[in-house]
Amino acid sequence: MSFRNEPTLELRRADLRDGLVAELTALDRRLPLAIPVLIGGERGAESGLESADPGDPARTVAVAGRAGAAEAAAAVEAAAGGLAEWSRRSGGERAAALSAAAETLRGRRGELAALQVRECAKPWPEADADVCEAIDFLEYYALGAAALEHPPGLEQAPGERNEMRYDPHGVAAVIAPWNFPLAIPAGMTAAALAAGNSVILKPAEQSPGSSLALVEALHGAGVPPAALSLLPGEGDVGAALVRDPRVNLIAFTGSGAVGLEIVRAAAETPPGQAHVKRVIAEMGGKNCVIVDSDADLDDAVPAIVDSAFGYAGQKCSAASRVLVHEAIAETLVERLAGATDALIVGQAEGFATDVPPLIEAEARDRVDGYREQAARSGRIATASRELPGEGWFSPPTVATALPADSEALREEIFGPLLCVEQVASTEEALAIVDSLPYALTAGLFSRDPKTIAAVAEAVPAGNLYVNRSTTGAMVGRQPFGGNRLSGIGFQAGGPDYLLQFTRARVVSENTMRHGLETDRGT
Amino acid sequence: MIGPGSGGLETPPAKLEAEVQRIGRELAGNFPSPARHPLRSLDQKAMQLTAQDAQLAAALFRLVDVTPACRSVDDLSSHLIAYLDQVPERPPSIDAAMRLAGSAPGRKALGSATAAGVRHMAHRFIVGESPGDALRTLTGLWRQGIASSVDLLGEATVTTDEADRYAARCDEALETLSEAAPQWPRREWLERDSVGAVPRVNLSVKVTALTPLMRPQAPDVGREDAAARLRPLLRRARDLGAHLHVDMESVDSLETTAELVLGLLAEPEFAEGPSAGVVLQAYLRDSPAQLERMLEWSRSTARAAPLVVRLVKGAYWDHEVVEARQHGWSPPVFEDKGDCDRNFEQLTRRLLDARPLVRVNVASHNLRSVAHAIAYNRLGGGGDGDLELQVLRGLGDELAEALRADQLRVRAYCPVGDLVAGMAYLVRRLLENTANDSFLRAHHGGVPVEELLAEP
Repeated sequence: MSFRNEPTLELRRADLRDGLVAELTALDRRLPLAIPVLIGGERGAESGLESADPGDPARTVAVAGRAGAAEAAAAVEAAAGGLAEWSRRSGGERAAALSAAAETLRGRRGELAALQVRECAKPWPEADADVCEAIDFLEYYALGAAALEHPPGLEQAPGERNEMRYDPHGVAAVIAPWNFPLAIPAGMTAAALAAGNSVILKPAEQSPGSSLALVEALHGAGVPPAALSLLPGEGDVGAALVRDPRVNLIAFTGSGAVGLEIVRAAAETPPGQAHVKRVIAEMGGKNCVIVDSDADLDDAVPAIVDSAFGYAGQKCSAASRVLVHEAIAETLVERLAGATDALIVGQAEGFATDVPPLIEAEARDRVDGYREQAARSGRIATASRELPGEGWFSPPTVATALPADSEALREEIFGPLLCVEQVASTEEALAIVDSLPYALTAGLFSRDPKTIAAVAEAVPAGNLYVNRSTTGAMVGRQPFGGNRLSGIGFQAGGPDYLLQFTRARVVSENTMRHGLETDRGT
Repeated sequence: MIGPGSGGLETPPAKLEAEVQRIGRELAGNFPSPARHPLRSLDQKAMQLTAQDAQLAAALFRLVDVTPACRSVDDLSSHLIAYLDQVPERPPSIDAAMRLAGSAPGRKALGSATAAGVRHMAHRFIVGESPGDALRTLTGLWRQGIASSVDLLGEATVTTDEADRYAARCDEALETLSEAAPQWPRREWLERDSVGAVPRVNLSVKVTALTPLMRPQAPDVGREDAAARLRPLLRRARDLGAHLHVDMESVDSLETTAELVLGLLAEPEFAEGPSAGVVLQAYLRDSPAQLERMLEWSRSTARAAPLVVRLVKGAYWDHEVVEARQHGWSPPVFEDKGDCDRNFEQLTRRLLDARPLVRVNVASHNLRSVAHAIAYNRLGGGGDGDLELQVLRGLGDELAEALRADQLRVRAYCPVGDLVAGMAYLVRRLLENTANDSFLRAHHGGVPVEELLAEP
């Protein structure tokens, strides 16, 4: 069986768009959703944490239980207990459960996309793509789970039999962000389960609804309740999970600050903890796009605009800096600014919307702060615009002529602000890229095979995109993840990711007995 | 879906087929001999060479594509070498050229020769840098008995300013052409059909150039924005008595384009004019339904000038297939050439049967498709003036001459614009010409006329 990406909706078809509108109407009637704390199949608290529609902060999308340290401890207890039942199952059986969960999500695609529109203000095409990616992760790691049954063969000398096996680590804590509210939790959870771990999923406080759908699908598909718990809550419950000595593995996607804190905490081995915690972390980026003088700007401009402002720049893969050759810098800035001015800022449910509101007030204030600073120290190339009244909107902005020490050029902004700088050569651009502590995505626009080869060789980013946008990695096609301070571990949705969720053991048996080889192996 | 058109009931298939063959042979006999155009045959040799070696062709397309962005002849020759370097089995002549690039003067010479070569190729397809500049060629074509439709090339529209500039260029083109056209000599078969006068001035416009807001998932936004620029152009065309034809591009802009044009033309202020047209792409599986929609619109919309429908095969086949495959969608186009050709003939018959509700343009370089349209029109009682045949300047010149020789109404689609911005167009045309199933390639490759005229 081979992997095939779940096809996204062909939204240029009006009938499919109408279908989504109907899903949203149906969802709105059910709001707010009740999201329980789910420990070992027991429903716990269902209140304490409210999440709102970023486009209409007065609308409550979900009321979730607010798990704390006590719930974290109980969930770890349950997961430790549920581990045996789950890990005993063969890779094939675990694969079947993940595939069945994917099938459940497939049946709820429209509804789950609608949920993202409300929960995270994710516009339709991206909400639909996120649901598809979640399905992809489940199917892709299901194939991986089945493959773990057949580890690579070892060298066999006469008189011995060597076997490799991949075992789960044990209890896995999955700490997920809101910006890909279904896909990222699904990816980390599915990988941990595929390898036979039991999982405690702590969703972002902004998007507990999508995670509940995932957990329900997995339980419905036969993952034992004790092997998968859901702990909606805030940072404290995540911190409690990370510190719990019975947790073996932490899979995290989120900010660099939290990620590094997790790495530090995970290094502790208090008395009674007989293991070092494995951390798999995907953190932030400061993603640069190099535009060489021979770039086709007709292609580059829309691709950069899409990379920088899609989902209002709230993707760790989003383009944040453009390093453009001086020969075409003026033209590029003019066209980028014009194309950005033409973007439609609006509510996520509008099919025409290019730039939705940011996730919350704090995010809006942070991005506005960077923009104001850029306006003071450099030049804003885009025109000012009216913003919709309700919602945490921040205008898509192109800034240029910033001083080299500007914070907007160094820090991850995670919002719709794109900085453009002029360089004299590709070498200068590469030196700037190399000076950054991050290495997640990078982009290049060039039509010279020599330049493409040189940049591919030099750029430290986990994902380099040539002559296309820097976002939209597809499972199995563009395994995704960064280097340097952008992340630890192999790329998600790629051939190596699953192995990180396992421990390898080798059994070597002497097959000689009194000079006779008793087993020639197979 | 594939079967005889309703008028086919009156035209026995065997009789039609015999007439298609007869007309096809006659047209083939009209093709000018290569000796009359030594330069053109040189270009064709180059095209044949690249058609034989897909990788060499790819290298040359990439070169044509990047030429406008190269800062110097040195830069150009460096790109040329980098592309050729990726061709695994190079003919000795190419290797010799690459050795030339070892020295600075050699690089300069190579770059200059390349730039000249690309420019020469571009001139074959692009008739002028501006409408005024193009007038000499357009007037010459008209005198020979070939009408034209002007298409303004330019960079992609990504900003509002660019959309405004394109609209202004269209407006200026209408004016420039309308000033010149009255001085052209009378060419009865080019300017009159059984319905009435056919405008001499004909401008083709692209909706994606009229708005930066083309969103496949939100067709209304692009439609409204483009309408604000297309409406004044329609008024101008009406006042000048010119024809405005709205091109069709990829499926992503199809709904926007169709609704935009049919919506605007139905507005009362355009009831008396201008003459306007749309495009039907036969490679689309959905094209028969689209045609029915156009006919239904024509029946229910009272306009003085019938809607002109230009039937084409469609030029975005690779784009449509690749995009669909990348997304896991089923491609909106026929993937089998035979299916596409049969659909083309089916649509031709349906269109001709619908006359005079619509005016029919058949734009194809496929001798069989063209002969079929002429034959079906004649057998159905239409005059030759009731069918307009169209070719692309630079690619269909020989066919245009063959059609003109029979006093058939033929119009050349003439790109106008600077060579730099025209490169994307040029590359697409070259790709189409050297595609494996290309009719022109088969023709120049010496495929016998019987095969070229075979029923799809």
